[in-house]
Amino acid sequence: MVNAFNRRQLLQLTAAAAFMLPLAALPAAAETLTVWGPEQYSQDEVRALWDELDARFEAMHPGVTVEHMLPTGTINDGAVQAAIQSGVGPDVLLTNSGVGRVGIVARANLIQPLTEAYAEHGWGERLYPWLFADLQRQFDGALYEWPDGLDAIGLWYHADVMAEHGWELPDSYAGMLELFDEIKAAGLFPLMVGPRSNFNGGHLFGQILQATAGRDVVGDVLYSKEPWTHEAMVAGAARLQELVERGHIPREAVGMNLDEASRLWFTKRAVFFVAGPWFTNNARGAGFDLTNAAYAPMPSDLEGQSKPTGGIGWSWMVPTNTSNPELALAWIDFITSDDAMLTRAQDPTSWMVYPRELPPFEPAIPVLNDVFAAATERGIGYNPSVYMPGNVLDTYYQVIQGLIGDQVSPEEAMRLMQEAQDAAG
Amino acid sequence: MAEPRVAAPAATGRRYRSGIGRDGVGQATLFFLPALLLYGVLTLFPTLETVRLSFTNAAGLGSTVSFVGLDNYRALANDTIFWKAFRQTLLWLVLHVVLAGGTGLLLAVLIARTKLGQRFFRTAFFLPHVVSLAVVGVIFSMVYDPFFGLLNGAFRAAGLDFMTRSWLGDPDLVLFSVAAASAWQGYGLYMLLFLAGLQNIDHSLYDVAAVDGANSLQQFRHVTLPGLREVSTLVLSLAMINGFKGFATVWVMTQGGPFYASELLNTYIFKLAFQFQQQGKSAALCMVLGLLAITLTIAFNRWRERGKRW
Repeated sequence: MVNAFNRRQLLQLTAAAAFMLPLAALPAAAETLTVWGPEQYSQDEVRALWDELDARFEAMHPGVTVEHMLPTGTINDGAVQAAIQSGVGPDVLLTNSGVGRVGIVARANLIQPLTEAYAEHGWGERLYPWLFADLQRQFDGALYEWPDGLDAIGLWYHADVMAEHGWELPDSYAGMLELFDEIKAAGLFPLMVGPRSNFNGGHLFGQILQATAGRDVVGDVLYSKEPWTHEAMVAGAARLQELVERGHIPREAVGMNLDEASRLWFTKRAVFFVAGPWFTNNARGAGFDLTNAAYAPMPSDLEGQSKPTGGIGWSWMVPTNTSNPELALAWIDFITSDDAMLTRAQDPTSWMVYPRELPPFEPAIPVLNDVFAAATERGIGYNPSVYMPGNVLDTYYQVIQGLIGDQVSPEEAMRLMQEAQDAAG
Repeated sequence: MAEPRVAAPAATGRRYRSGIGRDGVGQATLFFLPALLLYGVLTLFPTLETVRLSFTNAAGLGSTVSFVGLDNYRALANDTIFWKAFRQTLLWLVLHVVLAGGTGLLLAVLIARTKLGQRFFRTAFFLPHVVSLAVVGVIFSMVYDPFFGLLNGAFRAAGLDFMTRSWLGDPDLVLFSVAAASAWQGYGLYMLLFLAGLQNIDHSLYDVAAVDGANSLQQFRHVTLPGLREVSTLVLSLAMINGFKGFATVWVMTQGGPFYASELLNTYIFKLAFQFQQQGKSAALCMVLGLLAITLTIAFNRWRERGKRW
């Protein structure tokens, strides 16, 4: 038996279809993608840049609105974890990273692995090969982050002060000590650091370890293949103390934070300062013109080991409870494109070292050319601070202060580091 | 027949209403419930949860938690940082009582003797108390800056260069420096309490003492101090409580450094819980701190009671 529509039924169906047609033509229900970060989003110039990027993404995904959550903290202080666990947290987040931090949220199952997305979108090819290799080394091949920016810590110095005194940047560690002696004799502070802001002490010690032990040894120690008591690491700790004993770093520096210490550099009472490209932000805040500033990694007596240190500084991650997993991945795909990255790199507020070589561009602050060149030509060594879990990191910061303040010997300092590393497993 | 049928329930009803009757219990519970609920949610539950956590290996918000007995307490017993923080917390407590309480007493006595502008001085000296401890930490960090700071600057201006110090960098000084900043914020309240106490001392006692030939110091020792006994007890109690809560200034100024020289139990609790993700061990340390506070409070109360008998 064949069911045939009679005229009345056909009319009813046609009317229903006519009624439904405009509804079908309506755009898909509005969706919101909530983005955690960037940290400086509250600054007008920074927000203007992200507004532009958001608009581009929204144009590519009709019906989608991008909203930003101002970060209340980082993984270190538990703010990211709290935001994710709240259930009303972000769909995708940009925060300070490094294996130590990412490990905390990955092990707690708060962020989802991105390994498949890497394969599907070819994200690995958008990274420096060495960086991608480093990432794959972290969690037995599983990938949890897309590195948005790298830190490249090195020595910032006043090129004009150097020229005025006829000083030149040496290419050996011993030469650097001689230069520091001359600077001290001229009544200036050779090297300034603010270890009371723990991370700045970490920046300095990372540079010293890189120059003394080299990238491979530091990497092996951080990945527990070598102990912290490795003779090259102890030698690095001894060099930090030597810098203080010779008066190259004032012992009082141990009681200073980054702002206080950098004030001595901005007032040109100190010639060298240890910092990353983000230091341009501090300079802008202090109203300091960086035209005569120059940048170079700490000289090393080891062949090819004078490198900036840092590694992954900030990464994109996707919470496990995101309400828009596809959109979150689409966002990462967009933000890591050449187009979005170049826009960011050329913005006056930009200072980051991007995780791959970008098409040629002129950074807004000239000294950043030195930073980018050092990072791309020499590669980046490890800043141990971002590779450690919390308890090891605290010990690290404390022993650096202890070394500068002469409260602990180099051997004891490295023994304490190994103890902390063992306790962390 | 009708009388007992009506009277009995009425009489029973009156009896219930005059005591804690059935209706009264219901009404009392209704009034009592919000407070009980708040107390339960905000105090009782967190306390019990802390006790429970202290016997677990809780490590991170999303971690699997299992019972580990006394392991966290054993770990603390073998932790050199814990013992250092423990000793420094006791020293911090003493410093807070002496610096904040002592300054409060001294200023109260001086202001009480001032004939002119007493109200002005009272207000002016109380003002630091309204500043948050975190802000105090930031301000004093600047004051203690070894190169640009007010304190070393003043010494240099006075030709006392030998007095300049790395106030937050010297491990022997740092706890005193931070405690002084904390005391600056805290003394105002104690000063007001002492001032109120001083007003209650019968002034004729000073006249009698003066007639007997007592000098100012002797009058202070034999008239003022005994007259302030009750207020002193209150101030001591408050200072101990505030001392135990010491965290904000240390965290803002040094985060326990340099090399643990200003680490307190409170800062270590925070680090364990939120930086090291060792909530179990952190909870155990909370319990230790709680026990320390209870022990000291009992000891203080006994000492006070003994003092009363004398």
